[in-house]
Amino acid sequence: MTQEITGPESPTPQHLPRFVLPPLDQLARFWLPVGTVAVATTVALVGWFTQPDRLVRGYAPSQPIPYSHRLHAGTLQIPCEYCHSAVRRSRHASVPPVDVCMNCHRVTKTDSPAIRQIADAQATAKPIAWQRVYLLPDHVYFDHRPHVVAGILCQTCHGPVETMEVVSQQMSLRMGNCLGCHRDPRAALPPDSPITRAPDNCATCHR
Amino acid sequence: MSRRRFLTLLGASAAFAAGSGCSRIDRGTILPAARKLPEAVPGAAVRYATTFSEGLDSYSVLVKTREGRPIHVQGNDLDPLGRGAAPLRAVADVLRLYDPDRLRHSLIDGARTSWDDAVARLVQGVSEASAARHPIVLVTGAMPSPTRRALVADLARVLPTLEHVRWEPVVSDEEQAALRACFGNLTRPRPRLERARALLAIEADPLGDGAPADIAAFADQRRPAAESDAMNRLWVAEARLSLTGSKADQRLPLRPALAARLAFALARSLHALGLPLPAGISADLLAPFEPDLIARENGVPPAQLRALASDLAAARGAALVLVGPCLPAAAHVAGHLLNAMLEADSHTLDVGDARDDDALATLADVRALLERMATGKVGAAIFWGANPAYSFPDEGLVRAALERTPVRAAIALHRDETVSLCSLAFAEHHWLESWGDHAPRPDLLTLQQPALLPLFDTRPGEDVLLTLLNRLAGTATTEYAEYLKERWRREVHAGRYPVPFERFWHSVLHDGVLRRPATPRPTRRLQSEAVATAARAAAQDAPSRGLDLLITRGPLHDGRYSNNGWLQELPDPVTKLTWGNVLSLSPADAHRLGLSDGALIRIQAAGAVLTAPVFVQSGQADGVATLALGHGRQTGGVANGVGVNAFRLLLHSGGPALLRDVSISPTAASVVLPTAQPHQRIEGRDIVRSVTRAQHVRRLAAPPSESEPLTLYPSAAPAQHKWVMAIDLSACVGCSACAIACQSENNIPVVGPEQVRRGRVMHWMRIDRYYEGDSDRLRVLTQPMLCQQCDHAPCEPVCPVNATTHSAEGLNQMTYNRCVGTRYCANNCPYKVRRFNYLDFTGMKTAPETLVFNPEVSVRPRGVMEKCTFCVQRIEEARAAAKVAGRPMRDGDVTPACAAACPAVAIVFGDLMDPASRVAKLARDPRGYRVLAELGVRPAITYLYELKNPPEIPAASDDDPGGTRGR
Repeated sequence: MTQEITGPESPTPQHLPRFVLPPLDQLARFWLPVGTVAVATTVALVGWFTQPDRLVRGYAPSQPIPYSHRLHAGTLQIPCEYCHSAVRRSRHASVPPVDVCMNCHRVTKTDSPAIRQIADAQATAKPIAWQRVYLLPDHVYFDHRPHVVAGILCQTCHGPVETMEVVSQQMSLRMGNCLGCHRDPRAALPPDSPITRAPDNCATCHR
Repeated sequence: MSRRRFLTLLGASAAFAAGSGCSRIDRGTILPAARKLPEAVPGAAVRYATTFSEGLDSYSVLVKTREGRPIHVQGNDLDPLGRGAAPLRAVADVLRLYDPDRLRHSLIDGARTSWDDAVARLVQGVSEASAARHPIVLVTGAMPSPTRRALVADLARVLPTLEHVRWEPVVSDEEQAALRACFGNLTRPRPRLERARALLAIEADPLGDGAPADIAAFADQRRPAAESDAMNRLWVAEARLSLTGSKADQRLPLRPALAARLAFALARSLHALGLPLPAGISADLLAPFEPDLIARENGVPPAQLRALASDLAAARGAALVLVGPCLPAAAHVAGHLLNAMLEADSHTLDVGDARDDDALATLADVRALLERMATGKVGAAIFWGANPAYSFPDEGLVRAALERTPVRAAIALHRDETVSLCSLAFAEHHWLESWGDHAPRPDLLTLQQPALLPLFDTRPGEDVLLTLLNRLAGTATTEYAEYLKERWRREVHAGRYPVPFERFWHSVLHDGVLRRPATPRPTRRLQSEAVATAARAAAQDAPSRGLDLLITRGPLHDGRYSNNGWLQELPDPVTKLTWGNVLSLSPADAHRLGLSDGALIRIQAAGAVLTAPVFVQSGQADGVATLALGHGRQTGGVANGVGVNAFRLLLHSGGPALLRDVSISPTAASVVLPTAQPHQRIEGRDIVRSVTRAQHVRRLAAPPSESEPLTLYPSAAPAQHKWVMAIDLSACVGCSACAIACQSENNIPVVGPEQVRRGRVMHWMRIDRYYEGDSDRLRVLTQPMLCQQCDHAPCEPVCPVNATTHSAEGLNQMTYNRCVGTRYCANNCPYKVRRFNYLDFTGMKTAPETLVFNPEVSVRPRGVMEKCTFCVQRIEEARAAAKVAGRPMRDGDVTPACAAACPAVAIVFGDLMDPASRVAKLARDPRGYRVLAELGVRPAITYLYELKNPPEIPAASDDDPGGTRGR
């Protein structure tokens, strides 16, 4: 190899710097340990920075309307299901149509710019594009209904939403999150619940 | 570019790609509905009752919508013609709603325009034609809609020169001529198969071509619960092998050209057995038809014809003869005579339930019209749901006719052959986007309502006529929805109902159907002269010297569904061929001509020439070829160039017909037919069991012991549920409605003819069809085959990545995101029900095609194995609904798509752990067996073997306890 490049019959033009491999001794003493450490560090760092929990937990996109769950669900004590009303009727909890906001805001804080934005949306029947916070991985189907009916609180998965000014993701939605609870759901369930185990078949979620 | 710069750019782009990969995934936005609507719950399905109409028939169906888009069509229990099952083409037609080839806007001279401009142009042209007293022609389909007809009548009052031509290219002219000759009107009584103990189909296919209720009525009599229960007996005399023929207890060969002679000979036999002839018909008329001679002429053993006659005679009052639409008028007349002798009217033929049909235009009427147009005598022509440039045999005449007509407009769903010849084209709504009403029977009205807002810039076709009315006569509305409701308020409600109109209207919209008191109808009388004329003509008939060609109705109807990939790829229940039509020949004829499957031949009939591939069809009568209508379109991304247009041969008689003395000449070329099942014979195995009634009784007395093979695998721990299925082969007629419903429910891709030839059809539910015996005593065995959800599934242990596993409830699960595509599982599956995504069949699709997907089922990417899941999405939905309701799951909560679509109720699904469930009872049925049980895989599907009811004819021994063994 080195012969080919550094040999006297090499066609390399004279004005280019000549590439010379360091001697074997230097390779073994210096470059090998440094390279090993560098590769290991890179793997560790990439692994650390891309681990799903770290990457997705705390994701809190800014929303088109600065809606505060702390005010509505916390201070005002509006039940979650007042707005997320599909949670017992379909697998989605649902984000409410602006009509629901305007049930109160027709008379409340009507001059706030955000509320005017909602009123405009209602008048033009143009939906508000909320930023999605929780996104299930592909091929997974989650149904809110059985969980809500079993008495599991929204906060079990979504965290203390009533304290959040901007909603952030609290659970990383990895399969371990689901399976851990399905195999031993007692911590999530009300104390008097008769349920001791939830199904852990693949087709429960994947189909 | 220098090498250095190239490397710089390469490095930079790699760095950017790596950098952008580190940012968080775009999770998109959530757009809630702008308005709070009670129906708009995201994730919840809403069903609407609406009406599917095709030709003379209409069926009320339920449309399942998700987030405002229809994804599945199923039957409406309240419709007596569907009995809870939707016709196959209604289920498949949801795909046509999202067809990217749909006409998306109106056209003037082929260029995009607005609806208003196009209508203005039409109004101007029509007013000019009307002012000049030129005829204005409106060509439509049969239009069984009372309000549409009222609208045309309204228009006719304003336009005195309006001529309304109702033309159905696949309704037989011969059948209509016979009806008119025999009874003086065109009422078509409804066959009541549930009352028929003996049924004779002469080239007729009530199971393949009839209403779902017909299949249900037939199937109901094919599964006797007790030994004493009666079973009907199905005789089929036919040249082709139809679905009905494959289900026959006794199948007789027929030369269709001599069908009338056979029927008259049968009448003579019935008369000899003491059945009186109708008034005015003398026995002398039947003298030329010596039964034994005529039986031999058709190749039928005389003893069989005698057995048929005595069977029909014994079942008088509960016997029915059906004559196929492709047979000549004389055969239909003879059929009417037989039914009159068997007292079918008001027993097995429901005259009170007859459809009132004023005359449909015959081919001759349409030809006369086009010839008038070609002379320039017609001022304006509007084609609505009619496509003569495709379905009229003489395309040149259509061209000439349209060229000479100043105003030519088409109201169409697609840019079809006629649209391209018209100066104006109106883009029409699909039926799932439209309002309407239909009168399938005199005592039944059904409503049609839109299940979504229009996808494209389209309007209902009625709006064209309403706008004409509005501009010419100043009527109030141009919206058909309004017109329909007003007419219902005036004529249907009319104060006859105790509830106010709005509530009445909403209740009918909810149910989809409105039953009304039936008006009694006079019994009809057979005209003896018609019978005499037909008998005298038939007495002179001689066999054709050349080949007889039967032009039959195919699964694509009149070609309107030909751009539907689901229907194109659905294997024909008998031939198992997909994509296109073939000229079927009997094995003996093919051998004589030296032809084999796929050889291209030229067909010459009445001056027209077609080149089609040959298919050698077991069970087909010698001297007869068949070819299906509906293929050979020249437009449409899917349909264009698939198959040949058999309408081109129908120069003399419209609709399905018989062409005599057709000449065929082989060509050197050949094609490979896209077949879904390359192997045809059962080879003596007992996969599909079919036994006679007598054998069944003997088996009941001494049940054969079938022990479960030993196994090393541990048995599954008992769980709360065990999902199993039972399929009754006696009730199943093989119509394939289950396969289409499965395709719609489970997002199953269409792969195209090339992939079908490589054996890559993706259907999770397929209908296997096997032949047994030689042509004379051919038996057809049909079996729906899907994943058997084996308890000891051989696919599971071979998966290297655990992508296919077993659930505690007995389901063999497929986890797509684990699958790496080794295909070991498919190789180890003894039932061959696993399907592999060799190519990316769905990934390239964009809206509107993607809108048809069921959001509850993953769309599988390339390289992934898939198979039937027992509709696990429906199981989970039912489970969640039961939990919300706070009750355990009950029998009937879960119905997979195939079971819901089965008109014969042959598929039953449920929980084996519930001993009272229907499926648990069927699993214990003495007829039950499991396919390939000897492998020890413990399939979860119990098949109930087929019962046949052959007549007692001496000589042939059908005593074979092994079921289908012995070929």
